[in-house]
Parts: sequence; C-alpha cells; structure tokens
Amino acid sequence: MKARVRIAAVAVVLVALPALAQDLVVWHAYRGGEKAAFEKVVATFNALPSTKAKVTTLAVPYDAFADKISAAVPRGKGPDLFIYAQDRMGGWIEAGNTVEPIDFYVDDALKGRFLPATVEALTYRGSLYGLPLDYKVITLLYNRKLVKTPPATTAELVKLGKSLTDKGAGRFGLAWAYNDFYYVASILNGFGGAVFGPGTKPTLDAPANVKGMELLVRWNKEGFMPAEPSVALITALFNEGKAAMVFTGPWFLGEVAREIDYGLAPLPAIVEAGGKPMRPWMTVEGVFIAAPSKQKEAAFEFVKYVTDGDAARVMALEGRQSPAFRAIYDDPAVAGDPVLAAFRKQVEVAIPMPNVPEMTMVWSPATTALNKINAGSTSPKEALSVAQKAVARDVASLRKR
Amino acid sequence: MSPSPPPSHRRRFVAGLAAALALGGGSAAFLVQSAEAERREELASRQAIAVLGALVQAVEEAGGTGDPSRDALRAWQAGQPPGVEARLVVLEGIRLEGSTAPGDAGERAAPRRLAREEKALFDQAQRLRGAVEGNREGGAPKPEVEIERLADGGRVAAAPLRVGGEVVGSVRLTLPTPPAAVAGPRLPGIGWILAAFAAFLGAAALLGERRWMLALGAAVSLVAGLWLQARAALSGLAPGAGADVTLALHAEATRALLASGGIALALLAFVGLGGLARAWRTLVENRQAYAYIAPAVLGTLVLVFFPFFYGVALGFTDSNIYNTSSPLSELWVGLRNYAAILGDFSMVRRGADGALVWNYLNFYWTFLFTVVWTITNVTFGVSFGLLLALVLDTKGLAFRPVYRVLLILPWAMPNYITALIWKGMFHRQFGVVNQVLQIFGLQPLSWFDQPFTSFLTALATNGWLSFPFMMVVSLGALQSIPADLYEAARVDGASRWQQLRAITLPSLRPALVPAVILSVVWTFNMFNIIYLVTAGAPNGATEILITQAYKFAFERYRYGYAAAYSVVIFGILLVYGWFQNRVTKATEGI
Repeated sequence: MKARVRIAAVAVVLVALPALAQDLVVWHAYRGGEKAAFEKVVATFNALPSTKAKVTTLAVPYDAFADKISAAVPRGKGPDLFIYAQDRMGGWIEAGNTVEPIDFYVDDALKGRFLPATVEALTYRGSLYGLPLDYKVITLLYNRKLVKTPPATTAELVKLGKSLTDKGAGRFGLAWAYNDFYYVASILNGFGGAVFGPGTKPTLDAPANVKGMELLVRWNKEGFMPAEPSVALITALFNEGKAAMVFTGPWFLGEVAREIDYGLAPLPAIVEAGGKPMRPWMTVEGVFIAAPSKQKEAAFEFVKYVTDGDAARVMALEGRQSPAFRAIYDDPAVAGDPVLAAFRKQVEVAIPMPNVPEMTMVWSPATTALNKINAGSTSPKEALSVAQKAVARDVASLRKR
Repeated sequence: MSPSPPPSHRRRFVAGLAAALALGGGSAAFLVQSAEAERREELASRQAIAVLGALVQAVEEAGGTGDPSRDALRAWQAGQPPGVEARLVVLEGIRLEGSTAPGDAGERAAPRRLAREEKALFDQAQRLRGAVEGNREGGAPKPEVEIERLADGGRVAAAPLRVGGEVVGSVRLTLPTPPAAVAGPRLPGIGWILAAFAAFLGAAALLGERRWMLALGAAVSLVAGLWLQARAALSGLAPGAGADVTLALHAEATRALLASGGIALALLAFVGLGGLARAWRTLVENRQAYAYIAPAVLGTLVLVFFPFFYGVALGFTDSNIYNTSSPLSELWVGLRNYAAILGDFSMVRRGADGALVWNYLNFYWTFLFTVVWTITNVTFGVSFGLLLALVLDTKGLAFRPVYRVLLILPWAMPNYITALIWKGMFHRQFGVVNQVLQIFGLQPLSWFDQPFTSFLTALATNGWLSFPFMMVVSLGALQSIPADLYEAARVDGASRWQQLRAITLPSLRPALVPAVILSVVWTFNMFNIIYLVTAGAPNGATEILITQAYKFAFERYRYGYAAAYSVVIFGILLVYGWFQNRVTKATEGI
C-alpha cells in the first residue's frame, strides 16, 4: 500500500515537473532519420547546463502543418517555435501575430554564420524573421552506368540526352518534372528571369522568362524527355535504368533503388544564355519564434543553438540535411560526403524562392502556361502574357478594399 | 392526469411584456453606452494622432536623428502638459535616439542601445517601416500610425520617422489618461420603460382576458416605451468636438436599436401568444426523448451547423490570405462575392484569329460542365449496371457468384487508387490505352490536352467506379420480382422485349429511383476523380464546381469567394433535392 502511494506520488511529481518548468514547445514536420537527428539535437540542448527552459518536440504531419500554424499560433494556442520552409512566411507576416521578427537579437556576426542566400530567404521587407536551418535545391542526378561524365552545358546535355534516348524501348536521356513550374524556374532564372520584381510586381512575361520557355520548347522538340512526367514515372524510369539523368532534389534520393549507382553534379550552364548557369530555386527551412510565445528570449537561445555548428553536424550526417551553417562544409566528414558536397556546390547559384504571399497566386496560372507551352498549343510569349494577366488580376483582387 | 386550468392570457402578456421591455431596454442602454464609449475612444485617438503629427514634423524638420532631434524633442516637450512622454527609436543600430520619459535618465539616458525588454519598440518601428514600404508598392493597405490604449485609459501612438523619404525609425508618444468625462445617468430613459409597463398593467386590468386586445395593448406599450427610451438615451450622445464621429455613431446606434426592438417584439409575441408555454410543455412531457437526443443535437450543432453557418457567413466577407486574423465583421462585403460569381457571363469570346476562346474559370462554364458530367456518368452507370444485372440474373448461369464478386471489385477498391491507376493508363507514352490504339495502327493521343478527351478519361474512371453500385441495386430488385408474373406474360404470348418493358422496368423503379437520386448527388460532388485524374486539365476546362471551389480556396487563397462558391453549390443541390422530392412523391403516388 505504502509503495503504491509512493509510486503515485513520484508519478504526480514527474507529470507536474515539466509543466512547472514551462517547457518550450517546438513543432516540426520531420520523419524518419531527420526526426531522430533533430530529437538528438534537442536532447543535447536540454542537457546543457546553460539551458534555462527545456525544449519538447512535437512532430506535426507535413500536409497539415502550415494550416495548423495559421490557425493556432495567432490565437495563442500554438507552439513557442516551429520549423518550416520560407514559402509561407510572407503570408504569416501579412496576417500578423504569427512570426516574431528577430532582428533585435541578431547581429552581423550571427548572420555571417550562414550561407548568405539562406538568410536572404528568411528576410521579408527588410526584416529577418527566423534563422536558417537547412536548404533544399535541385541538382543533376545521373546514372553512372549510362553517363560517364555529367554534361557541363545545355548543348552537351541535349547531345548526350539524345544519344541515350530510345523511345521505342522507353529509354530517355533526361527525365524531370518539366511540367512543374518549380523545376522549370531553374531555366528561367538562368536567363536572368524572375517571377516578381521589383518588390511584388509580377513579371511572368519578362523577356528573359520567354527566352527560358523557348529553350524548353526546343528541348521538347529534341525528344529526349518522356511525356507527361509525373513523380511516379520519373522514379520508375530512373530506377529501371531507363532514365539516364534527372533534375531533382534531395527528397528523391530516398526513392532511388539500391542497385542504381548514381552521381550528383551541378545543373548545366545554359549555352543559349551565354554560358550562364541554370539557377534553381532554393527552399530554406527556418526556425521561427511564434509571436505570442511567452518565452521569446529562451526560445531564441534554442534557435541559436539548433542553427549552430554542433547541431548542423548532427543534422547533416545523421539527418541527411544540407545545413545553412556555412563552416560545417569545412568539416572533413561533411566535405567528404558526395551528396552534401554536391548540393553545397549547387546552392552557390541558387536563388531563394520568393517568400511573398503573392507567390501563392503564381503557381496555378504559371502551371497552366507551362502546360500550354509543353503541349505546343501556344507560343511561350502568349502563354506567359496570359499568365501574367491572371496573376496580376488575382493579386489585385486580394488587395482591393 | 388532472385537467389543467385554462391559460391566463393576461398573465402571459404581462410576463411577455416584462421580458421584452427588459431585453429591449437593457440592450438599448448597453448600445448607447458603448457608442458613447466608442466616441470618447475615437476622439482621444484623434487627439493623440494630432499631437503625434506635430511632434513628428518637429523632429523631422530637425533632421530626424542626432542632437538636433533631441533638442527638437526637448523644445516640444516644454509645451506639453505633464505626463506626456515621447521616444525616438532608430532602426540602425537598434538605438533609442531620444527620450523625454522620466525613466530614461542617468544610466538609461538616450542615446543608447535599446534594452532587451524594449524589443517591442524596435519591432514596432520595423512594422511601421514595412507598412510604409508595402503601401508605397501597392500591397495590402496597412495603417501607418499605430495606436494602443493603455489599461489606465492613456494612449500610446507611434508613427514612422522619415529622413530623406526613407523610414529610419519611429516616434512614439505616450499620452496620460484624459480627464474623466462627465458621467451621464447610468440608465437613461429608464422611466419611460417603467411607465409603459405600468400603463399596460392598468390597461390589462380593464381588458380582462380578451386575447387580441391584450396583444395589441402590449405591442403598443412595448413600441412606445422603447421608442421613448431610445430617444432619451440617444439625445445623451452629446454633440461636441468631432461632430462627424457622433453622427456616424448615431446612425449606427439607431440601426442597432431598431434590430433590438424587433427582437423584443418577437419575444413578446412568443411569450404572450403562448409559444413559450407550449415549448415548455412539450419539453417537460417528452423530457426522456429530449434527453436521449440531446448529445446528438449538441454534436450536430457543433460539427454540422456551426461550420455550415460559419461558411455561409464567410461567403459575405472578403476573407483571404492577407487578413485571416481580422474578425469577419471587419471584412464584410455583402453580396459582392455572389455578384462576382453569378454576374460574370463572359464564358466565351472571339479570339484575335476569330476562333472561340472559352473562359474556363467562368462559373457558368463549370456549372455546364458539371451538369454534363453528372448526366453522362449517371446514364452510363445506370445503363451499364442494369445490363450487367440482367445478364447475371439469367437462370442457370454457371459461376454466377464468381462473376458477381469480380464485378463488385471496382467498387471495393479505394477510389484514390483506382483513379491514379486510370490516370496512368491514359499516359501519352506509357499508358496502356495509347498502346492498344497503336496496336490497331492509330495515332497515340495526348488525352489531357483537349477538354473532350480529358473528360473521357474522367468519365471512364468514374464509370468504372459507379457501375457496381447500380448493378447491385438492380440485381437485388430483379431477384425480388415474382417469377409468376413472367410466367403469366409468357402464357399470354408476350415477347422478351415486352416482358422487359412491361414487367421488369416498372418493378425496378422503386429501387432505381432512390439509387439514381443518390448517384446524382455523389457524382455532382465527385471531388476525388476530377482532382486526381484530370486535375482540371487542360487549363481548368474539366473542373467541376466542387474542385473549382477548392482551387479558389487553397490555390488562390480567396476564402470568402470560395465560401460563396460553396453556398452556390449548396443552393443548386437544394433546388435539385426539392425537385427530386416532388418527383419521388409523384412516383410513390402511382
């Protein structure tokens, strides 16, 4: 009887303790190895003698993540911190009371820890809203059995791609999601195009974008890419050795079959644009402090820790992330990792994907334009000008009142 | 049960009038008082903005930063009453550039770096800079002055500080509590309410139990009492400084008073005419039944009716990704969304080359497509299902259970999987459909590039998914038709075709009509198939209403517009349901 009372008392104390200490709650959408690595970093942070507020993690499914943040955080029901890519950041800032600006805490030395473009990705209207944790970017993935030296230019790419294509046998030189604007933007950016600029003025029909689309039309005519490329199709082709090269990002590597010996190389330079490199969009995962959090100072201590070198090393080697922490790539273990080194090389020319909320209006018209261009039913110039009008109209209809 | 005494109309009307007067009078007093408070707030804010404007001008004329700005601040402070404080925040270097607050002396004297606990000051300056830049670019409009009410009634106002046209920081002003306004009577016009009640009591004593006379008297007393009270209370909204504010509030309060008067009148009718007594009686008599259904009612209220009415309310607002945190009342746009959806008839126009260009985003195109989609699918499903059922119903068919299980399989598979498989089968290079076409020497088709072929892919998928249901329903009904009917028909010399028309089809009707009704509603809102198979390709031509509403909400982030769209869909189905109800009633009558 006594023992039971004692156990109950201990249980009560154990349950009550974390509540008394006011843990910081961090939401993330990690799974598998990434989740384990992140939890290890958090455990290390909690064990530090300097830690004042312990951190508990909550994995929230990715699909529901952004909507949960939009709904819970402004009403004060959400976490103290959360980790998410920069693309929804602008919307949260415009809605207000969601993301805490952190310029006040950050000095130049702290900013200097990161790859500059990753900090830029988390900057909105001149204010910094989070510290970058890692980035994702697309690069050239190739089957070593079929491709000895990866193409350095688009001319080589087309030549090699055509030589590896055999439509009758269902073999293709290059398989990539050229019906997805996110991927195609790497060509447009290479020509110096952009979706917005200056500010949030849509510029889908800019001449550079038209030129980029015209290159895509030529590639379509060369016939070294499979039609209607879905993710499932690209994965299947690459795993069966029927696609020699793929433009894709780190998320694809988990899907590659064991027996495929693959290599990674930077996206080729565009001969048609005077040898300028293809410039993919990069998404940056930031650690954000929730605006209604009661412990922002303590939360920022965690933000600093989790984006610092020790954490970056664990996240890179165990979580397979590409950290935004710059100095980690001097670490022999990270520098010697072919995958991490390849993405590090590619990110040099990557452009942060726009974080303005207007970006959400771009996807649908841009995809429509892309489909028309790929189908060959409309010229790039006309399709982009229709898309430009649609984006401008959608943005304007949101802003009126 | 003992016979209950006849109800007293007089008592009911007295009680009803008391309740209605209390409700109407109470809400009127509350409304007028809150209007008065709002007016005071507004005037105090205006005063704060005026003072702030003068300060910002003085500081900016002195150069905005550095010693001259501090001198300007001191000079300005000298002309202010005690308790007024001003601070200059500069973004560059996170500095408190100048301050006249008593706390910012000695160690903390400006200029200095902002302390950790003063982060809010810095963030505010940043926010103001963002607002100014956003407005300049034509972004979603944002206020360029922030006003905050302190707990003690004072005000904090902040405005951007510009140097050479660029925002470099903020000017923040703290105003002390304004002198308390002369408090008016707490319940203005309460005398009129009491007088009206007393008058009705007197009248009721004379009228006895004459129901309609009592109703008239009570209504007149209520209206007169409330009107006189409202007049007295509204006159308490003293004019003075800011007459325009008062006028606007006056109009607003009048509208609110009319509404509360209407509710009070409804309450009087409900109590006085016996509605309350009746409701109470059934509640008490059937208390067991009500207790049993209470959890279900509660659940339905929370899970069905609240979201439904919230959605309807959302349809009257301009809610979108920029303003999700504002209350709906601030976003009210009335019927604008409906006008935009239903009033846009630009479905087709002539292109530059004379060809027809369809506007696939137009509501009427999508509606037309949805109707065609529904009719073709249901026709296909019913005829194919019926045909298979007739085949399976053949007497002496070998392996019938095996066929039946095989034919039900498409229905048993999750429709997401089926949809994705069908999408794969229509792939231009790897799809089995095109490979079959090539075997017969035909050209492969880009199925999703033309509206019609794209529609065919969705139709094939949904037909595959929907025929088993119709087959099962028909088969069940077929087997319940008595065999002697056919026997008699044969004896009379009827052919197979005549038997089918005269016996089978009429006997199937009671089973098939509800199945068709259900199937129409399902197909009308068949989100999965369209979303997964065609995804609206090409260019949104094959969207149905429900997927279009989804795209407005979650791709264009126009929540209000999408909610209005959904209400329109609901309206269409409501009309269909009502019409269908009448049709089925007619068939039942036969």
